[in-house]
Amino acid sequence: MSRLRVLIEGLSKDVVTEKYPYAPVEVPEGFRGKPVIDPSKCVGCGSCVNACPPNALSITDEGPYRVVRLFIGRCIFCGRCEEVCPFNAITLTREFELAVTDTADLVQEVKLVMARCAACGEPYAPLREVRKVAERLPDELRALAYLCPKCREVMASHYVSFARR
Amino acid sequence: MRRASGSDDSGKGSVRPGSLKGLGEVLRELGAEDVRVVHAGAVLVTVGKGRLRGFVEGLLKSFEGEARYSTGVGTDFRPLEGSYAMTHVIALDRVGAYVLVEVRSGAVRPSIPSITPVMPAANWAEREARDMLGIEFDGHPEPVRLILPDDWPEGVYPLRKDFPYDLKLSEVEGVDVGRMVGEPRNFSVSPRVRSPDAEVAYASIPMGPYHPALHEPEYYELYVEGERVVDAKYRGFFVHRGMEKLAESRMTVNQVPFLAERICGICGYTHACAYCQAVEAAAGIEVPERALFIRSILLEIERLHSHLLWFGVAFHLLGFDTGFMAMWRIREDVMRVAEALTGNRKTYGMNLVGGVRRDVRGEKVSLVTRMLGKVEEEFKGFCRNALRLSEVVERVKEVGILTREDAMKLGAVGPHARASGLEIDVRADHPYAAYGFIDVNVAVKDSCDVLARILVRYEEVLESVRLIREFLKLMPEGELMAEYGEIPPLRVGVGVTEAPRGEDVHYVVTGLGNRVYRWRPRAPSYMNLATVPTMLRGERLANVPIIIASIDPCFSCTDHAVVVDVRTGARRVIKLQNLLRGCPP
Repeated sequence: MSRLRVLIEGLSKDVVTEKYPYAPVEVPEGFRGKPVIDPSKCVGCGSCVNACPPNALSITDEGPYRVVRLFIGRCIFCGRCEEVCPFNAITLTREFELAVTDTADLVQEVKLVMARCAACGEPYAPLREVRKVAERLPDELRALAYLCPKCREVMASHYVSFARR
Repeated sequence: MRRASGSDDSGKGSVRPGSLKGLGEVLRELGAEDVRVVHAGAVLVTVGKGRLRGFVEGLLKSFEGEARYSTGVGTDFRPLEGSYAMTHVIALDRVGAYVLVEVRSGAVRPSIPSITPVMPAANWAEREARDMLGIEFDGHPEPVRLILPDDWPEGVYPLRKDFPYDLKLSEVEGVDVGRMVGEPRNFSVSPRVRSPDAEVAYASIPMGPYHPALHEPEYYELYVEGERVVDAKYRGFFVHRGMEKLAESRMTVNQVPFLAERICGICGYTHACAYCQAVEAAAGIEVPERALFIRSILLEIERLHSHLLWFGVAFHLLGFDTGFMAMWRIREDVMRVAEALTGNRKTYGMNLVGGVRRDVRGEKVSLVTRMLGKVEEEFKGFCRNALRLSEVVERVKEVGILTREDAMKLGAVGPHARASGLEIDVRADHPYAAYGFIDVNVAVKDSCDVLARILVRYEEVLESVRLIREFLKLMPEGELMAEYGEIPPLRVGVGVTEAPRGEDVHYVVTGLGNRVYRWRPRAPSYMNLATVPTMLRGERLANVPIIIASIDPCFSCTDHAVVVDVRTGARRVIKLQNLLRGCPP
């Protein structure tokens, strides 16, 4: 009897197997797929790099550019980058078909022009980031944002010594 | 960890008789030098080397039938305090506390008395600390390697703090990797093994390096006489991934939950929870109630899919593939709901220290409710018939017996222990997340066979459905994440969860700069695998796969390698070269 019931039950159920890859599958809203950086929003601050558990994101200063590099081959799709990005520049898409024939296709690079120090001319931080910082500074301090950390230190000590006089 | 306030109406929230205060007195009387409550439900006691074994014996006597070995953690404290420490975590389930027995050893030629002679379940933990940290355990009955391959060079201890995480063995001074690999192998499986105390010659059958159904690396060597298994040896730990070292060397506290989640390919979320609980307890972070409820809901969803997966595997091993298909069909709904709630079918990625990252409300709640109704109906409907089929029941009845005494002695946990009549369940004994708000019905069977393990899990699936409904009903509004600053250094925390396979223990010592100084996860299969040889003795060869599968083993979680039982006296070793090649010859 039980055997017959098992059979009937089996016959009464629908097929749950997806036709994929012959038919597309829908992933739900909020699915954590391939992260993508919006190059127009990224300022190169490196928050995502600090949060990224598997080091899929990295930041390197290459001469006049700062390069933010995302290597999907290391990505674990946790979405921490999306969570910590102050400018919503990186988001997880619903894309999950990530097979490529060339590893280079798994890398996204964002090249940001570096600001040059107003005093010594050395590149020190991405121009976009510097501008964002400058916007938030009070007028009298704004000029400091356009100096590299070294020159800023020197300048700041000047301020202090002048103040004492 | 936090318990329900006003425990009278919620029942399980309170500490049971023999409260922590009284416990301190008892521990002091037994010879503890210092007793300190590190956080709710965990007491750290310091014991001198000389008194250790007496202390453990006394503890076993005072809490007879209750003191259960949970895990042991070796820590290199040399950079801070100039010593090594071994911390035995002993669970007192009726008291509702974990006792951390800490013993220190000097920095030169570290040695600590072994407690394995009085508490056999400590065997693996002590050998692990010996392999990874070089602490010698005086009086250990089986002082051989567990984790590291037998031709790993002497004097190289990967978990010591002066061993850089990215150091290659070939870079270690005095180690010639080429010579190691070139050594003659002696891991040849001999076709016939002679038992030392018998005149009979047994045939030996290697099973592995992959389990026929679980597709995970393990190696059993079975000694058979005809169809009957006379003895078994287990060797695992082929997939040690060095997670502890990785976390301690280069990750911050909020990166580790994602690593912890990847310990297991089935029940990862429970590891992420246990880790977060350990850090939260250590740092005194109060997690918002809503977050606790969301964690509990997801933990039960994970148990549902894990048990359904196991039912499928078990039916498949019994040759009942209709059942396998049916279970996995039912499970698919659970997976889809998990995906909708968290953004992924399996790696939920929901936890950070202090709370959860996504809310469960609105449409998502009704998704869960609909899924629960469907799963309950279909699972019950199918099992009502399937568990009456003789080809299922007769194959598992009185097969793979693990007596209550053996289960206790070897430290079995989870559904495996409950099927042997031990009433232990972390959710009820040491309530965590939101389990303090609800009574959990603990499924216990006492026939001690594979059938009992099936029935326990059957009840647990239905209990999970009930629990999720209750949690959804009681879930309060509120924040999802606690606010906290830098994690205070050098605090100790223990986070324990009831994983689908049993008690999952994470021990954490916090470090400087929002890092962990020591993190030691202990997956439930670590305890349960040690019980397998006992269950296999006297069984028929054809029953071996289902018996091994009946503990729902998770080899990679245990992730750390050796011969458990050496009745034949012949000790065989696995060479590093074989591990490198991926399989024993």
